[in-house]
Amino acid sequence: MRYRVCHITEYQYQSRVSHCYNLAHLMPRNTRRQQCINTQLDVQPAASFSVRREDYYGNWAQHFEIQQPHKILRIIATTDVQTNVQDTVMNLDLGITCGAALQQMQNNQDEAVLMAREFMLDSPMIRANDALRDYAAGIFQPEKSLLSAVMALTQKIYSEFTYSPQATTIATPIDEVMQNKQGVCQDFAHLQIGCLRALGFAAKYVSGYLETLPPPGQEKMLGADASHAWISVFAPGEGWFEFDPTNNCMAGEQHIITAWGRDYFDVTPLCGVIFGGGENPTLSVSVDVRRL
Amino acid sequence: MSVSPANNNPAMIYQPVSGLVDDAFDAEGQIKPHWHYLLGSLDELGAEAFAERQQKALRILRDDGATYNIYGDTSSPAHTWGLDLVPNIISSDDWADVEAGLLERAELFNLLLRDIYGQRRLIKTGVIPPEALFCHRGFLRACHGIQLPGDHDLIIHAVDLMRGADGRMWVLGDRTQSPSGAGYALENRTVMSRVFPSLFRDSHVHRLAAFFQRLRAKLISLSPNIHQPRVAVLTPGAHNETYFEHAYMANYLGFPLVQSDDLVVRNGFLWMKSLDGLSRVDVLLRRVDDWFCDPVELRSDSRLGVAGLLEVVRAGNLVVANPLGSGVLENPVFLRYLPEIAKALLGRELRLPSVPTYWCGDQNDLDFVQKNFSDLVIKPVYRNLDSRSVQVAGLSADEQQQLLAKIKAEPLQYVAQPMVVAGHIPTFENGNALVPRPAILRSFAVASDSSYTLMPGGLTRVGNSENSFVIANQAGARSKDTWVVASEPERVLADSAQDDSVVVREADLISLPSRVVENLFWMGRYAERAETTLRMLRTTFMLLNGEEPISDAVKQPLLQALLAVAAIPLAAPADEASDNRFVAAEQRLQQLVSDGSLTNSIATSLNAMLYCADETKELLSSDTFRVINDIRDALQVLPGNLNASLGSAPEEALDPLVTALMAFAGLTQESMSRGFGWRFMEMGRRLERAQQISLAVNYLLVPEFSSQDQNKLAEALLLSLESLISYRRRYRGRMVLDTSLDLVLLDSSNPRSLIYQLGQLGEHLRALPKAAVGLHELSREERTLLETEVLIKLASLKNLVQTDAGLRPHLLETMSRCRELLAEISEQITDKYFDHREASQQLVHSNRESL
Repeated sequence: MRYRVCHITEYQYQSRVSHCYNLAHLMPRNTRRQQCINTQLDVQPAASFSVRREDYYGNWAQHFEIQQPHKILRIIATTDVQTNVQDTVMNLDLGITCGAALQQMQNNQDEAVLMAREFMLDSPMIRANDALRDYAAGIFQPEKSLLSAVMALTQKIYSEFTYSPQATTIATPIDEVMQNKQGVCQDFAHLQIGCLRALGFAAKYVSGYLETLPPPGQEKMLGADASHAWISVFAPGEGWFEFDPTNNCMAGEQHIITAWGRDYFDVTPLCGVIFGGGENPTLSVSVDVRRL
Repeated sequence: MSVSPANNNPAMIYQPVSGLVDDAFDAEGQIKPHWHYLLGSLDELGAEAFAERQQKALRILRDDGATYNIYGDTSSPAHTWGLDLVPNIISSDDWADVEAGLLERAELFNLLLRDIYGQRRLIKTGVIPPEALFCHRGFLRACHGIQLPGDHDLIIHAVDLMRGADGRMWVLGDRTQSPSGAGYALENRTVMSRVFPSLFRDSHVHRLAAFFQRLRAKLISLSPNIHQPRVAVLTPGAHNETYFEHAYMANYLGFPLVQSDDLVVRNGFLWMKSLDGLSRVDVLLRRVDDWFCDPVELRSDSRLGVAGLLEVVRAGNLVVANPLGSGVLENPVFLRYLPEIAKALLGRELRLPSVPTYWCGDQNDLDFVQKNFSDLVIKPVYRNLDSRSVQVAGLSADEQQQLLAKIKAEPLQYVAQPMVVAGHIPTFENGNALVPRPAILRSFAVASDSSYTLMPGGLTRVGNSENSFVIANQAGARSKDTWVVASEPERVLADSAQDDSVVVREADLISLPSRVVENLFWMGRYAERAETTLRMLRTTFMLLNGEEPISDAVKQPLLQALLAVAAIPLAAPADEASDNRFVAAEQRLQQLVSDGSLTNSIATSLNAMLYCADETKELLSSDTFRVINDIRDALQVLPGNLNASLGSAPEEALDPLVTALMAFAGLTQESMSRGFGWRFMEMGRRLERAQQISLAVNYLLVPEFSSQDQNKLAEALLLSLESLISYRRRYRGRMVLDTSLDLVLLDSSNPRSLIYQLGQLGEHLRALPKAAVGLHELSREERTLLETEVLIKLASLKNLVQTDAGLRPHLLETMSRCRELLAEISEQITDKYFDHREASQQLVHSNRESL
């Protein structure tokens, strides 16, 4: 599928910002199932210095510096991207078993396995603990295939948790999400990653977009989409596979990947330091994903 | 054995203690040859004479401002650096082995650093488990791919070493973040060569200077800008534990010392904010931990770094040494795998052994740790202020269980090492004897063109008791100079001259950060404010206690003038019944002294001044620092002395401080170079003095009194402004108001007159850098100053002394207006020259620590 993604971020400040330094993860990366065809980042007011690079995880990171006073900062990221379905085995029950996968994660000296072990460890926003392990442990029976177990966990989270944008913020810890059984895509992804890591598997956080379709017969509204998040799990010998606990599915053609990392912290869409600006800036974000 | 010279100067005989590893003795209990000369000399010198030298050394260290701040000790944060005068002696032959081992180790750690932030082959090929790197908080993913020009990424490598029971040197750990101690080693050497000049000369000690020349040359060579490389030393600031060293090194190397606020990133380059605008910085020798260096990409709540710094490094427009991310090499888990790492990267094992290290992240190691728990020392893999090494044997059974539970919950985060006691060396203790103390040596290697260069010796630290295990400055350990002694005098190496082949015109390149200039300005103001307050207080005491009684009427304005210059608010008049208003003046003064208001006011000014002095340490001479120490001392005893002497001659309690402040003023005048820094300090001083003259004149001479009282007040004014002698010489004792005013306000030949201050201020302002060259237009501050000068010059004495309804309205008006204008000048200078950093904030509020 070919899409044009337009992601507009706007900050309105109470008082003048004299200058600022920013780091954006807003442009879809290249992956095995996705090619970024064309991408552009517009910054208003104009940046005095701007550099794009690949970060540690292979994501696009754009640095820019604004040296003129402003009260509104607008960042427009536009990307044309070609996506494909994941090359999964059609039957999830046929792959490596949970028991064998655990074994491999510990003992296999293959480069791919060794490097995946980075994603078994605690990360800034995700700390594995007993509660997370216990929540998922029953599903991951040693003889069960790893991917079908992950799918079952995806389903469990989907059915036991309520989607509720009001319930959490970026800073809500997983423990609280676990307790209240409410949250948004980012919380569910963190939760699922925490469960997998607590059990001894490697899992990544994937940020991106999901194409939404309007109700039948209606025109799609501009900016109605939102950024999205899901997970990717490592099956030794097979590779990485993406699951979406918010929508109870494996990621497909409609899942457009922006960046991945250990958790949200590694792929924050926009961060930086501003000088001035006063308190409580208002942030508005609009995302538009449309088929080309 | 020598005979002790006299009873009151007991000999110092160093004797072996059985059961201790002692570096000065061989296996038969005989003194080793290279210790012979020193121990013999000390014995001859005797304990008392040695103790005197130790006192002398302490004074020198204090005068040099050599301090080490101990965190958490807020009562007196600056401790004088502890130096034991018995050097640690290492023979040349011994050193040659150690040196070869350390150079090899530095090369290995350089390769390790390159691999960690480059290919990560060691992980991909299974040489080290992935968790050894990925779980360490010092591994900064944002620094991936950064490489320095040349063969070396690791510029400075420090190693802590100790002599083991087998007589060999063992490595305890590596320091790669921003190793401290090289500057202290240099200071130790400087002091030793002054206190024991002949002993030092005769011992043929290898010199340290070459190491610093190499460091300097290397830093300059790293610059991406080859025409005018500019290097700066980045410090977290005066509160840091090793700030003295930062300032000392910056000075010694000839690079400016900068803080976070002095720097800014613009258009992909790093700039220093200086008086004449922004100037580029090409190389930073950092003493700020890497994690704090950039709030955009690293620790987001850091105030010690520069926003956008990392991207400037990535763009190749700045080199930071040691590079950002180098702290990861301090991970003790690497010690566990060092033999394998060395084989993989160098093709051989290291010749210098490291202390055995067990990583709880490895199951076999964890089993070992559990079995031998109470014989071990547990260390967190990531060193910071909250996590220290723990000696398990020193814990109660309960605490041991808690610690073990903590380790099992996060096994990746801990290593264990056996308790090793370092070899002992002779140390002077209790002011009377040489005793054995365990010693650790920190060595320093600096990258040169194709290899590393080692400092001969390094910084030795000794524990506080026999067999003491913890040897750290934070735990109060003392240091020693380290002497690598040659059997023959060292030839001055020809290549030490060659190192200066990189010709840099220092004077052109060093301009002052605006912060430093601002601190100098305020140092001048506060010094002057404290001095005037002290003089005014002294005058008040002298008049009140003088042989000629003064009338009650005079006391009130005297007190008011004092309060005004000391910036203490006047008490509400309602408190004091009108009939005993004048008597109350005396009581009020007593009360102000005893409740500390006055000393607080003086202390506030002086502490502010001392703070500014700390911030500008690198510009002040060591003589100036001696005077600053005197001020600090006198300030501490002032409240006690003043209270104690309230009954008799209290003014004398103030003399030491006044004298010290005069000495300070004189020294800055005589020993500071006439750069912009000096001009700003002078401007601060002149502005403040002008303010104070105007205040004193206002309070003492505006109210109308009987002529006798009036004369007394004029005398008080002249006395407190240090002008009484001039006046008496000129006017032969006839105290008249208009001539007093003439001397204090208008006489441009009197260095304490108001007009003189304005004249000086004008000269300094004219010498400052101008924005628009060639134009003759006056700057804002010059206009305001001109207006002030006109106000004073056009004043007529006849008008000024005229009275109306108990006041002198013209004098009052002139003085008030004068102070308004002075305040305006101060603001205009501040606006124009000093940095006004807007508060920065995070775009997204998240202060999570990276893992």
